[in-house]
Amino acid sequence: MKTERSGIFADKRSGLKKLIFPGCVLMIYGIVFVINPARAAMALRSSTDIFRNLLIPLGLVFTLMVFMNLFLKPTHIASFLGKGSRSRGIILSTAAGIISMGPIYAWYPLLKELRKEGAANSLIAVFLGNRAVKPFLLPIMISYFGWVYVLLLTFFTIGGSVTVGFLVGILLKE
Amino acid sequence: MKIAISAEKPDLAAQVTQRFGISSYLIIVDPETMEIEAIPNPGAAGKQAAGMQAVVIAISKEVDMVLTGYCSPTAMKYLADNGIDVVTGVKGTVAEAVAQYGQQANVNPARSMEKPDFAGAALLPVLKRSGMQLVNLLPVFVGVVLLIGLFNALISKDLLLSIFSGNALLDTLFGSGLGSILAGNPLNSYVIGGELLEQGVSLYAVTAFIAAWVTIGLVQLPAEMAALGKKFALIRTVLSMVLCIAISILTVVTYYAFSVWDL
Repeated sequence: MKTERSGIFADKRSGLKKLIFPGCVLMIYGIVFVINPARAAMALRSSTDIFRNLLIPLGLVFTLMVFMNLFLKPTHIASFLGKGSRSRGIILSTAAGIISMGPIYAWYPLLKELRKEGAANSLIAVFLGNRAVKPFLLPIMISYFGWVYVLLLTFFTIGGSVTVGFLVGILLKE
Repeated sequence: MKIAISAEKPDLAAQVTQRFGISSYLIIVDPETMEIEAIPNPGAAGKQAAGMQAVVIAISKEVDMVLTGYCSPTAMKYLADNGIDVVTGVKGTVAEAVAQYGQQANVNPARSMEKPDFAGAALLPVLKRSGMQLVNLLPVFVGVVLLIGLFNALISKDLLLSIFSGNALLDTLFGSGLGSILAGNPLNSYVIGGELLEQGVSLYAVTAFIAAWVTIGLVQLPAEMAALGKKFALIRTVLSMVLCIAISILTVVTYYAFSVWDL
C-alpha cells in the first residue's frame, strides 16, 4: 500500500495548462521587443508598477485565505444549503456562497448531490450568485475602487443574487 | 476514526475495487468497533464527473482515510483538501484492508489520523493549502498583469474612449458583454477593471465588466448544464445577465450620489 497526498500530486497537466496563457503573453512580449524595444520596455515598466501596487493587498488576500481555510470546510459550507425556513435558507445560502472558495467546477458535483437531497433550486442559484462576492479579495478591489464603491457593488450583488434565486424558484415552479 | 473503502458489495467480505470513483459501494468502517455503513455510489455508472460523487460521499461522511486500488489525481486533490488521506494499491477484502491498515497504524503511530493536539499542527496544513491556492492563482494573474502592461503601452486612450462612448447604457451593455464571455478568478477582473478605469473608461462599463465576469461566465455554462440541468443553468444565466446590468447601473448611480455628498 502507498499513501499519496494530493497537494503533492496536484494534477500536473492542469498545472501546465495554467502556464499556457502567461507563456503566450511572454511570446507577445518577445515579438514586441523585436519590433519596438522601447514599447516593450514601457509595457514591462507598466506591469512592474501594477505588481508593486498589488503587493500589500496580495499579502492581505493571503492572510484572509488562511483564516477562511482555518475555520471553514466545504462540507460545512455546503451543509448550510437547503436548511431552515425559506428566509433562513436564503441567508444561509448567501453566506455559503460568499465564504465558498476554489473553482466553481469543484462545487457542481456537491451542489448536484445536495439538490438530490432536497436543496431548492432557488437556494442553489442564490449560492452560485453570491460566489461573486469574495471577502478575501476585497483588499485588491478596495485598492483600485475605494471602499464606498466596493460596499455598494457588494450590496447590490448580494441583492441581485437573491433576486435571481427568487426568480429561478418561480420559473422552475418550486 | 472513519475509513472509507471502495468495494464491490455492501459488506466486509466484499473485494476492494480498483477504481475509487466508479466503485459500486463505499463502505465506511470504524476500525475500532468494526461498525460499517455501506453507501451505494451514484457515480458507479461511470458517467461524467462520476469520480466526484464518491468524493462527495467521503467528504460528507467526514471520513479520515480512503482505502482503494486507484484514485485519480483530481479526486485525490479534493479529498486531501478536506483533510482526508488516500491509500492506494489496496487489494483483498474490505475486512483485510481494514486489518492491514490497523496493523500499519500500530507500527507507525505517526500515520494515525488522531487530531493534532496543538494549534500549530493545525495551522501548518492550512498555511500550505492557502499558499497553494494563491500559487494556483498566480500564473493567470501574472499573465493578465503583463498583458495590461502591453495594453497600456500599445493601445492609446483615444482608441479606448472611442469604443466606450461615455453613454451609460451603451457602456454598461458593452462592458457586461465583454465580462460575460470572459471568466476566471474575480481577482483578474478587478485588476483589468481598475486599469481600464485609469485609462478613462467609464465606471458604468467597468462595473458591468466586473459584475458580468464574476456572476455570468459563459464558458462555465456547459459544466453547469451538465451538473444542474439545462433548464436551471439557462434560466439562471439569462436572469443573471439581466440583473447584472441592473446591478451595475444601480451601483454607479448610487456611488455618484454618495460622491456628491463627498463621502
